[in-house]
Amino acid sequence: MRKKFLLTYLLLLFASPCFAESTELVPVLAELKQAAAETETLSSNFVQEKHLSIFAEKLLSNGRFFYQKPDRLRWELLTPVASGFVLQGKQGQRWNGLSREQERFSVETDPIMGMIAQQLLAWARVDLDWLQTRYRIELQTAKPVSLRLYPLDEGEAGFIDYLQILFANDQRHLSEVLMVEVEGDSTLLRFSEVAINTELPADAFAVPEF
Amino acid sequence: MKLVADCYCRLQHRRGWLLLILLLLLVVAGWSFSQLKVEESISAMLPDGDSQVARDFQLLQRAPFARKLVIHLTAADGIETDQLITATDQLRSALPAELFSNPLSGPEELVTGQLFRQLGDSLPYLADVDDLQAIDEQLTPAQIDARLAEALAQLLQPQGVALKKQLRRDPLQFDCLALQKLRHLNPIPGVRLERGHFVSQDGRSSLILADTQVAITDAVGGKALLDAFTEARQDLPAGIRAELVSGHPYTLANAQAIQADMQRVLLVSGIGILLLFFLFLRSLRALSVYLLPLFSMVVAVLVAAAWFGTLSGITIGFGAVLLGITIDFGLHVYFALRNGSGVETREQLLQAVSRPVLFGGFTTLAAFAVLLRSELPGQRQLAIFAMAGILAALLLALLFLPHFIGERKEESPLSRRQLRRHVYDRAPGLRLTVLLLWLLVAGLAGWQAQKLTINGELRQLSYLPTELQQAEQRLGESWGNMRGRALLFASAADLESALRLNELVWQRLGEQGLQDEAVSLAPLFPSQQTQQQRLQNWEGFWQQRRATTQDLLQASGQKYGFSPAAFGPFWTRLEQTPANIDQQRLKSWGLGRMLDNLLLKDEQGYQLMTLVPDRPELLGALEENLTRLPGITLVSQSRFGKQLSAEIGADFSRFISSAGIAVLVLLLLLFRRLPEVLLALLPVLTGLLVMFGGMGWLGLEMNLFNVVASILIIGLGVDYGIFMVCHGQQEEDLASSRAILISGMTTLVGFGALVLAKHPALHSIGLTVLLGISAAVPTAVLVIPAFRPKRR
Repeated sequence: MRKKFLLTYLLLLFASPCFAESTELVPVLAELKQAAAETETLSSNFVQEKHLSIFAEKLLSNGRFFYQKPDRLRWELLTPVASGFVLQGKQGQRWNGLSREQERFSVETDPIMGMIAQQLLAWARVDLDWLQTRYRIELQTAKPVSLRLYPLDEGEAGFIDYLQILFANDQRHLSEVLMVEVEGDSTLLRFSEVAINTELPADAFAVPEF
Repeated sequence: MKLVADCYCRLQHRRGWLLLILLLLLVVAGWSFSQLKVEESISAMLPDGDSQVARDFQLLQRAPFARKLVIHLTAADGIETDQLITATDQLRSALPAELFSNPLSGPEELVTGQLFRQLGDSLPYLADVDDLQAIDEQLTPAQIDARLAEALAQLLQPQGVALKKQLRRDPLQFDCLALQKLRHLNPIPGVRLERGHFVSQDGRSSLILADTQVAITDAVGGKALLDAFTEARQDLPAGIRAELVSGHPYTLANAQAIQADMQRVLLVSGIGILLLFFLFLRSLRALSVYLLPLFSMVVAVLVAAAWFGTLSGITIGFGAVLLGITIDFGLHVYFALRNGSGVETREQLLQAVSRPVLFGGFTTLAAFAVLLRSELPGQRQLAIFAMAGILAALLLALLFLPHFIGERKEESPLSRRQLRRHVYDRAPGLRLTVLLLWLLVAGLAGWQAQKLTINGELRQLSYLPTELQQAEQRLGESWGNMRGRALLFASAADLESALRLNELVWQRLGEQGLQDEAVSLAPLFPSQQTQQQRLQNWEGFWQQRRATTQDLLQASGQKYGFSPAAFGPFWTRLEQTPANIDQQRLKSWGLGRMLDNLLLKDEQGYQLMTLVPDRPELLGALEENLTRLPGITLVSQSRFGKQLSAEIGADFSRFISSAGIAVLVLLLLLFRRLPEVLLALLPVLTGLLVMFGGMGWLGLEMNLFNVVASILIIGLGVDYGIFMVCHGQQEEDLASSRAILISGMTTLVGFGALVLAKHPALHSIGLTVLLGISAAVPTAVLVIPAFRPKRR
């Protein structure tokens, strides 16, 4: 009888955090959705910190990011190599300041760019419904909201271990994204000077001239 | 001929036995029909044996898309490519697996497989001299620096996560050279891949390819297939159209057209024959004459089935129609015995009529016998079928029929006999008019006959509904000519020799700048000998350049911040010797289907196929350069059509000359005088001339069925000639003109009614016979008596 009681106690003990997490996650996600629903435009600067075994040292780069509802994006690195891409609907254009090359692409014909565009749009819109179909989401902290996402797709899980997302205090945008790869490499993005629903520059979605 | 009269006398009181024999014949035929194996394939009308055309036809059947079901989906304006792809998947899963096997809407195997990485690993076996030259040009300091700068930029971008591994093992992007070889495996000219689907360049069309167990010639199975397709496509969203392009819709459309034609033609023929019956025969006894072709056909099927085992559906169908001509023998016997005059007894009349009937029958037999030498198995079957039927008809007409047609009619009163006098006796001046008119028609026909051409295109014989042609045209507009490529076969007893020959073909195509338009396994599946040679070249190449390249890569890598071990996987890869490329390896890359399409194996060995555009100037050049090499064969739809035309033309000339000689010999034996022989030939010559001239004037071309129809004109035309010349020579009046007139009119309503058919093959037979018989009958009835009046 004591053994049975002990077993039940242990089960409850270990089960309770999981139960607590899943019940906490639902209202948190609902709040995030509500906060992001009003976003029409978004602009931000970011710092990217890459720890890759292929490089001798960590790589620091600066960039900027623009989003306009429903499907316009600009992801641009300004240093050390001016490069990036813009996306309007399904068509995009990327550039490389080093080689001074520009190239058009379509998310329909370039599967890698298709996946990247889908991810960035999902984060900009805080499209949690889509993210829940792609990732198992765990709530790390509730204030500020920090989520850890484990890929469900086998292909993605082959090289990404998890993503850790930190939301801003007002929950309307991301503050940090950490991507940890299976082999231990990682990429940290820190967003700053985030402006929501402000007028974007006229050339926000134009390709730079070389 | 006395034998016929003797037989008549002996059987005169044994009509019951004769009826019993006929009944027995029907019973045996009924049993035989239930056992009959009918082959419904157009192959019976294509040359067999060892002829070039027969070999080419067999090879053309092996083209990758020859037996595939192609489903073409198109999106209306305003529909996104994404929606089209979703609809494609929806339709693909809605197709029933028992009818549509292995449905494929994209190269899924390639996308999910390890192809891209493993193909790069096999570069030592794939890189030819040009590729090594291209690599050498990439090994300059500037090029290496540019590549690493590009690698850095890519790694900094979000997509860098997915590209990192690949950049470490291939920083200088040599794998592209191996990937480029894949483009030579694309059999669909205008394709691009989207979400793993075949999509046209403009993104408005997609494809589903499938196999099926339903034979292309199976109309019933084809209907089930089309019904299932129609049902599956019903659930497609608005604005998306799906069309099935394969041989099946054509087969079904042809079968339905023939059915509708036969109803129309049989109705018209039936009414025509009834009219003839009531106008000229008006006796229940005459019905036995109409039963004669039926019994002849029964015998013909029995003999042909025993001879060949399996009969072609075309032979039975066309043969049954051909045997309609046997009614002539019956009509001659009927009119001679019922309306003949000039002799006392029925035996004498039968003896008199048996001479032209037998000789007419023999000449028709001889005309059909020439088809025994045809290259086409269907025509050989038809020869046996027709000959058996004609022999049976002769026996039935001379031995059986006289016992069932009743007594001779009473002599007509003088006034009626006067009326029955030949028209020339009543109006002698008409003779010259008829002769002049005949000369004029013959001259005109001869002039127009020069325009007649021969067409061996099989599609010309089929009913091609506009909507199916438009569907095929739309497929071509979206995807290029995927179904009409010329095929180059490299054949050898063993795979290695076939692969070497295939490489030679590829090399020659390269010399002519045609590799970009060709589909071949050669770039991805070299022979083992070539693979070993390339491996040696590869190793030698890197022995010379490794140290320098390592230094350059290190220096540039340092400049962009790469660690010293960053490109370790690249150097490890260069040290390893990958596994040879063989069939198993290609299959592991997901190229199994392409391998099965382009590499064939049969009891004679291996055949590798190269697809090239079917353009005459290109084929001419290839013919000169390649097909002289042993083991290499070039076949194409366009060339096949020409070869078949040439074959039909040669066959036709042979038939006409052989039939001409046979008929001439028989006529000489019968008449033993040249003027009579020439007179007897007048109807057939006029009939053929008007037929050729009429076709030339109408812009029609000679096809496979017209060849057989010509033999029919020869057989009937000579019969008419023999009867009229015999009629002129004999004292007896056998009512031959009347018999010929009714026989000609029966043939015209029987065959000529086919001119009303929508199906081109039936229509052309009808028109040919209409032209030929319309000329042969008046020539026999009016022109022969104009040259040689009846002896009185």
